[in-house]
Amino acid sequence: MRSPSYPVMPVRALRPLVVLALAAGLATAAPAARAQPEDGDATAATPAASATAAKPYMGWTSWSMQSSKYPGLNPNGDYSYLTEANVLKQTDALAAKLKKYGYEYINIDAGWWRDYAWTPEFDKYGRQQADPVRFPSGMKPVADRIHAKGLKAGIYLPVGLEKEAYGGGKVPIWNAAGCTTADIVYDDLRTTNGWDSAYKIDFSDPCAQKYIDSQARMFADWGYDFLKLDGVGPGSFKSGDNYDNVADVAAWQKAISATGRPIHLELSWSLDIGHAGDWKKHSNGWRVDTDVECYCNTLVSWENSVDDRWDDTPAWTRHAGPGGWNDLDSLDVGNGEMDGLTKAERQSYATLWAIAKSPLYTGDDVTKLDSYGLSLLTNREVIAVNQGDAPPARPVTPSDPQQVWAAENHDGSYTVALFNLADRPASVTADWSTLGFTGKAAVRDLWNHESLGTHKDRITQALPAHGSRLFTVTPHGDALTWTGIEAESPANTLGGNASVADCAACSDGHKVGNLYTGSELTVNNVVVDKAGTYQIKVAYVSGDARSAEISANGGGATRHKFPSTGDWSTVNSVHVPVTLKAGSNTITFDSGSGYAPDIDRIDVPKSS
Amino acid sequence: MNPRPTDAGRDPDGDPAGDLNGDPGRDPGRDPSRRTALSLAATAGLTLALGALPAFTASAAPRRPADTAPLTGTSHDELWWRAPGDEGSLIEQGLPVGNGRLGALASNDPGRELLLITDATMWTGGLNDTLDSDGQFPYGRDDFGSFTLLARLTVDIPDHDLSGVNGYRRALDLAQGVVTSSYVRSGVTYRRQIFASHPDDTIVLHFTQSGGGRYTGSVTLEGTHGEKPSHAGSFGASFPNGLRYGAAVTAYGSGGRVRVNGTRVDFSGCTDLTVVVSGGTNYAPDADSGYRDPTLDPEKLARTKVLAAARHSADTLRRTHIADYRRLYERFTLSLGTSTDAQRSLDTWQRLTARARDGVPDPELEAAYLQFSRYLMISGSRDSLPLNLQGLWLDGNDPDWMGDYHTDINIQMNYWMADRAGLSPCFDAFADYCLAQLPSWAELTHGLFNDPRNRYRNSTEKVAGWTVAFSTNIHGGSGWWWHPASNAWLSNSLYEHYEYTQSRAYLAKIYPLLKGACEFWEARLLTTTLPGTSGEVLIDDRDWSPEHGPQDAKGITYAQELVWALFGNFAAAAAELKRDTAYAETIASLRKKLYLPEVSPKTGRLQEWMSPDNLGETTHRHLSPLIGLFPGDRIRPDGSTPQEIVDGATALLTARGMNSFGWANAWRAACWARLKDADTAYQLVVNNLRPSTDGSNGTAFNLFDIYEVEKGRGIFQIDANFGTPAAMSEMLLYSRPGHLELLPALPDAWAVSGSVTGLAARGGFVVDLRWEHGVPTSVTIRSVGGRTTTVAHGSTSRTVRLAPGGSVTLKGFAR
Repeated sequence: MRSPSYPVMPVRALRPLVVLALAAGLATAAPAARAQPEDGDATAATPAASATAAKPYMGWTSWSMQSSKYPGLNPNGDYSYLTEANVLKQTDALAAKLKKYGYEYINIDAGWWRDYAWTPEFDKYGRQQADPVRFPSGMKPVADRIHAKGLKAGIYLPVGLEKEAYGGGKVPIWNAAGCTTADIVYDDLRTTNGWDSAYKIDFSDPCAQKYIDSQARMFADWGYDFLKLDGVGPGSFKSGDNYDNVADVAAWQKAISATGRPIHLELSWSLDIGHAGDWKKHSNGWRVDTDVECYCNTLVSWENSVDDRWDDTPAWTRHAGPGGWNDLDSLDVGNGEMDGLTKAERQSYATLWAIAKSPLYTGDDVTKLDSYGLSLLTNREVIAVNQGDAPPARPVTPSDPQQVWAAENHDGSYTVALFNLADRPASVTADWSTLGFTGKAAVRDLWNHESLGTHKDRITQALPAHGSRLFTVTPHGDALTWTGIEAESPANTLGGNASVADCAACSDGHKVGNLYTGSELTVNNVVVDKAGTYQIKVAYVSGDARSAEISANGGGATRHKFPSTGDWSTVNSVHVPVTLKAGSNTITFDSGSGYAPDIDRIDVPKSS
Repeated sequence: MNPRPTDAGRDPDGDPAGDLNGDPGRDPGRDPSRRTALSLAATAGLTLALGALPAFTASAAPRRPADTAPLTGTSHDELWWRAPGDEGSLIEQGLPVGNGRLGALASNDPGRELLLITDATMWTGGLNDTLDSDGQFPYGRDDFGSFTLLARLTVDIPDHDLSGVNGYRRALDLAQGVVTSSYVRSGVTYRRQIFASHPDDTIVLHFTQSGGGRYTGSVTLEGTHGEKPSHAGSFGASFPNGLRYGAAVTAYGSGGRVRVNGTRVDFSGCTDLTVVVSGGTNYAPDADSGYRDPTLDPEKLARTKVLAAARHSADTLRRTHIADYRRLYERFTLSLGTSTDAQRSLDTWQRLTARARDGVPDPELEAAYLQFSRYLMISGSRDSLPLNLQGLWLDGNDPDWMGDYHTDINIQMNYWMADRAGLSPCFDAFADYCLAQLPSWAELTHGLFNDPRNRYRNSTEKVAGWTVAFSTNIHGGSGWWWHPASNAWLSNSLYEHYEYTQSRAYLAKIYPLLKGACEFWEARLLTTTLPGTSGEVLIDDRDWSPEHGPQDAKGITYAQELVWALFGNFAAAAAELKRDTAYAETIASLRKKLYLPEVSPKTGRLQEWMSPDNLGETTHRHLSPLIGLFPGDRIRPDGSTPQEIVDGATALLTARGMNSFGWANAWRAACWARLKDADTAYQLVVNNLRPSTDGSNGTAFNLFDIYEVEKGRGIFQIDANFGTPAAMSEMLLYSRPGHLELLPALPDAWAVSGSVTGLAARGGFVVDLRWEHGVPTSVTIRSVGGRTTTVAHGSTSRTVRLAPGGSVTLKGFAR
């Protein structure tokens, strides 16, 4: 930060916040078999406006370059990249290079109403107004210029009434006779949002909705098609009543609807998954994680924080769908030097975003895409995965740095991504049994536009450090048959604290929980015909990411990671390799010294 | 070998290394102790002329075989992987190649081949003859010195990025000494072979393809010490210690263009490409010349060598290399049984992982592990310096413990398997090194050992012969603390090579080392009377059982055992060579008076110190007090050693535990093999085969042994790669002159059926052996100089009499 007088708004990737996030994570990592009420619709999103966000949106955002210390980007101080000239320059470049691939939004991020010293400016109704130095033409002409290129325009606001807009409570609300800023906040001027930069709005007073209406009306009049509402809680590293902005989001949805203009409403950042139902109900997308930007000399870095997404996305997967998508943040893969990533990292970044069906918006300097970056951003086969109608991929073998993610497509083929998240090259194998079939399958390499022929039972590829491959796998074999065994079967053996618990979402209504500190579940009499390594399917419930040590027949155990299922009432399944002998086997899930997920059941393929 | 003790108190900013020839502070003519040193040096110099070659030198035109004989090894002599090595982790992921002197770790990345190139003589530092204030040696990279990288070679092929290739495979063919990687890109199969040729004294990279592919990219050869390239194809420079070094590369191909572009060599549109690299230093194993050959220009010689090799096709170079390599490799074969198809379907890393996870023996993998050690020995120990702590391989210029020679287990263990597993010729580098260092070692001993600040100095105030410290370098110098019994252990190790080979010429060559070590102990030993007895015994002066316990203990078991063996070996050598009859009698009489260790009445264990108390750590890594069990063999579980001593040794070994790391496990395994405890020995072998992850103890991706120096940081130490196979061979054969025992500690995992050929026995025999269900079914004994031996299995024993060169096949060793 250039000056301590800055409000703390934009920087959110800094260490103290991360520490807070970690502490919060720990606090939720306690009991094993805790039931929570279902948080709304668990299948498809209920679109706020079905025409909006039918597919993940594609475009460009100003924030990555604003937030970077890359030489020359922000000559007038932090975040100063955001200017009318730069936005229009990027608009022209996007229209020329990327529009034909589906990129259409030009999103102006934080600061359009702030001068280079970050002092905000408001109109006489307490609404943000364009900084005349950054945007000398004003915001409407910019939107017009964007539209003239056949693109859509996006704008940004923090949630709440910004403190500087309060004006001693005397500022009138536009088109709301008798309402002033004093009416829309709490008497104690409690603050809200991820930076505590605004007073929390009290929607019990009708004037509050009027204020949101006035802002929405203004954006609609200017012609904006997209609004990013930032600092929204629960989320944005905040929790508690003061930071519950569900009412704000609902008010925004209502206000947008009243304008009659379709405006995409995107929420930021690190939204609380416990409120996924609210976000789905009222918005078109939600940032599932902290900023991808590193606030460093490049736009991003692998460790801070691109790689977090592989851990944090799976819990959200089931919440994505037409009308509302899991937003993994900017896709900064267009210029290796500026991005601060290796080629392999850039491809993996683009692969995860594509298969998770995240919005695809780059924060790169579109005027300076390198040839590899351009190839990543414009690969039609990969874009089709993101924009197609198949569900987002989820991890099928997530237990070590060599992961496979997959989604079944409507035509019976699979989108399969191989990832090597390790810091060194490694081979990664996708076993067809983890996709539910056996035998042969045709493999298409999407990144390299190449058919790789038929592969029997599996495909193995060498991947560079942090590397990936992306395939379409078309089965020509047989569906796999499974032998299912319920964890709660009385034939199994429980050790330590392990116990059977009710579980509405689980098969047969029960699971085994309380697998912590030296507790174990041994599934007895797992019968296979042939000795071999089997990818067993483990259905489990885990409100946070956990691990279990899994072994067969009392042999050496391997520690496997289980991604969070998002809450304690949702079942997911992953596959873990277990080496079995012909005949009867035992498979043990041991918590070790930590906490293991609750186990619903296992399914063992009838052939390895 | 361990992290340096915290009380070592070294000053890292010691004086720059002194030069042996340039030290004005000492006048050899007036130093009475100098005479003996010079006589030792003269003897050594003479033998040197007969033995060792200079390290990097012009070589005669290689023999070019017309064609290649079919392989006699099995298809299991291959290690393979499905991923290339990471540039930042080549010590665990690079595949080693070497011609005995010139080595490299290769990444085998399709888009960017990286070779980190080493020469065994590429060392900083010098004689290091100014002691620290505690009378011990400085131990820094400038004074003592360090093994460092010679060069870095990259072959960039930008279109072959790993993310865009399919079916990547990488293999190390142990039977032919060739690293191969292959992959498919856009329907074309690309193949790359890398080998280090001893006859051509170069490393060769050969890039081929089938299916109409082309290679376009660039070759870059760089130094790693900030050198400026003098040509695109070579560089040369020198260290502050005067060592000159240089390297050169050339490339040639067909179907396209190869041309020099600034400091790179660019190639474009080539259907195949050959890259040849060589390099070295002007190190000379000669104390009189200050370990330098002033006439040698390494850069020029390297250029000459690569240009000479480049006159031949890659096929010719490869054929020449393979013929040379196989002459050594095929001296020994091993089968420990049959693995399952499921095991064979796994790549080497998966196989290691499965072996550890499932606890199921994988006999072919276990045999390949031993053969890998032979590959390392052939690649790292020929006609130059011996294998150091990292063998011949580095991934940076600051290896732990300088990549030096540690004299309290590590260099000895490096050579435990050479003779046993058919690689006696590779042992010469070790003996030649000691001989070339001897004049300096003797001089430093005479000048510095009795320094009044040295806590280990001789109370007798006499000094003779030679010894060294825990670390030695290549400049005649020592590092860290004095280690009096190092001379005995080095001498005994060298003598053992004679026991295997029965070469009298070799014995004559190392004789000065043995005699000098005896002279040292003759001057050092103290006479004492044991409490409660009237008999006088000879004991070691104040000393430190390596890296363990009190640092001023007299009569430590380690030294007593080593000196007892040394005196015996010297007497045998003098008799064989018919030299020094009177002196040999003196030494033999001293030997009779040596105190030998007792069993503690308190712990029931063999004592490490002359004390019934345990003065150290029960599970300490070193087995110094068990040196009489292995590698010595004074303690024998065959009735010839008092049972109390065998029991005490067993109790001590048991207490040391099973869960150490690489070399410590290997040493334990060899000891248990000597005690005929097959299961325990095998378990320790298996412990070393555990895959190393995040730096944990065990075996790395590339099969290098990793020692976890601290949580999350593992380093490569090659000793276990040799010590573990040595223990495996001890499980198959115990030998001492005149007696062989077949399958003394054969574990169930290997018992079903197996065979070994070329297994060497002390006493001058080589054994070929087959077994079924733990019983030898066919045994052939060949004499390489031995005449009479008993051959035993279980309770059955035969006596074999052979003339040198003769052989006999025995059958009927049923239990």
